[in-house]
Amino acid sequence: MQWLSRGLERFETGLLTLFALTLVVLAAAQIIARWIGQSPEWLALPVVGWLLGWTQWIGPWVDPFLRVLVLWVGMFGALAAARDDRHISLDMFSRRWQGAKLRVARVLAFGFAALVSAMLARASLGLVELERESGTFLFGDVPMWWAQLILPLGFAALALRLAVRGFSRPAPVAT
Amino acid sequence: MSVLLLVVLIIALAALGAPLFALIAAIAYLALRAAEVESTVLAVEFFRLAEMPVLIAIPLFTMAGYLLSESRAPQRLVRLTEALLGWLHGGLAVVAVLACAVFTAFTGASGVTIVAIGALLYPALKHARYADRFSLGLITTSGSLGLLFAPSVPLILYGIVAQQLGTNPPVSIDDLFLAGILPGLLMLVALSAYGMWKAPPKQHDLQWNAREAWSALWDARWELPLPVFVLGGVYGGFFAASEAAAVTALYVLVVTVVIRREIKLVELPRLLREASMLVGAILLILGVSLGLTYVLIDAGVPEQLFEWISAHIDNKWTFLLLLNLFLLVLGMLLDIFSAIVIMVPILVPVALSYGIHPVHLGIIFLANMQIGYVTPPVGMNLFIASYRFNTPVMTLARASLPFLLILFACVLLITYWPALSLALID
Repeated sequence: MQWLSRGLERFETGLLTLFALTLVVLAAAQIIARWIGQSPEWLALPVVGWLLGWTQWIGPWVDPFLRVLVLWVGMFGALAAARDDRHISLDMFSRRWQGAKLRVARVLAFGFAALVSAMLARASLGLVELERESGTFLFGDVPMWWAQLILPLGFAALALRLAVRGFSRPAPVAT
Repeated sequence: MSVLLLVVLIIALAALGAPLFALIAAIAYLALRAAEVESTVLAVEFFRLAEMPVLIAIPLFTMAGYLLSESRAPQRLVRLTEALLGWLHGGLAVVAVLACAVFTAFTGASGVTIVAIGALLYPALKHARYADRFSLGLITTSGSLGLLFAPSVPLILYGIVAQQLGTNPPVSIDDLFLAGILPGLLMLVALSAYGMWKAPPKQHDLQWNAREAWSALWDARWELPLPVFVLGGVYGGFFAASEAAAVTALYVLVVTVVIRREIKLVELPRLLREASMLVGAILLILGVSLGLTYVLIDAGVPEQLFEWISAHIDNKWTFLLLLNLFLLVLGMLLDIFSAIVIMVPILVPVALSYGIHPVHLGIIFLANMQIGYVTPPVGMNLFIASYRFNTPVMTLARASLPFLLILFACVLLITYWPALSLALID
């Protein structure tokens, strides 16, 4: 079990790193490409032309792609936050409780959160089905529902993880 | 009866430590069921997160902030402010206030300021013979100072949530960045003045040292352009907030990892994961509250609330006073991100009908919330400082009291003097 959990964490962190770095690099590249594209004519040196050629692949698809990527990074971040008990909560008693009291509190609080996540996963599945029927596109010929798949998958994974967290020891305080 | 039971149940679950996103989603779900609307609406509203062009500023600035706080930028910032201001009487207190504010603006008051900056300054303040209680109070309070300055994430979040409401006058993030400057400076000046007044009479003030000042400036050469990107770019109108975020994030990544090499490549996944956890936590509560907002607006709650309030309160000033009290209590109970996503959609329409500018409301909101960081029972700064300095929470709360009173006076001034927030925007 231990190796499975650790392997999964590595896989998640790897994907998250890839998404986050893509977000940073692509967002900046888009702006730099715009500057190059808008550079005044007296700057029309061969080097600018070369750069312009290099930035051709940055097209109108970048904006919708980045907006969806933000959501994907957020969902993977939410999964990571569930693993480390880092979701925002009021947490008035559990900080002070220990032993059996704390265990019961965790089962109730996280069990509830798992149920709600499962409900959100089902609602998201409804959204994906609606979108598949309407057949809209995110950009080019990429269907919108591909981008939305993160919601049912992410919330289902979140539900499972929160349920597991309910029966686990609290994560150490982070600072 | 059953409604009352549900309310009790929700409060009990919140007290037991259930994540807030689940509580918000549950309330929205139950309200939808009661109105016989499909729960797919929750997913539709959640997916609107992928339709907000400004939202990208949150992950980008958060990542930049985490990278900066893990590098040696905090040490350089403290060294620089100390070299430039340490010669003043009470200079070290001014240094603490200023360094905390700059750092919080970039890290969005996620509590890292106390760990990264406070931990450097606390020993320095003690060494300069400032009273222990004063130093603890100063650092605990300053940990959230700078929330009103660009590019703080709560400021951006307020703008995003308020934009969804399509107000007139509209709320732009750039306007919020401008509006925060003078109120933020007011808080800085007030706390600095108190620090200078409380400084020990024979404190070891530093001598002005031009060579050290130059060397500190040179040492911080890679960090110095950052405020220029954000402040110059956004305030000068060269960038939109999301563009400044993209440039800042890439710049910080290149400087910390490639140029300075203070963050090793192997540490990068862990750091990006840390930053994404905060982003994920914020986006999750934002996404589910879009659903809740849909329900509330559909049910006409803001109008009802306004009717009820206007039946009892007939002028703007009384409303603002009550708003302050309400926000203070809210800040004691909720963290800043949740408070924004839950309350802003309800408060903005009500405040608008009292003739309060939504940008001014944003500054009032955040200024109040800043105090909430240092008040029990859930003041985050208190817990982080307690953990970091190994001091009981109640001791810290008492030590912070004089600072809180000063900040509260600033909040009142910010509330009743709209021009302070609105002078810099058109």
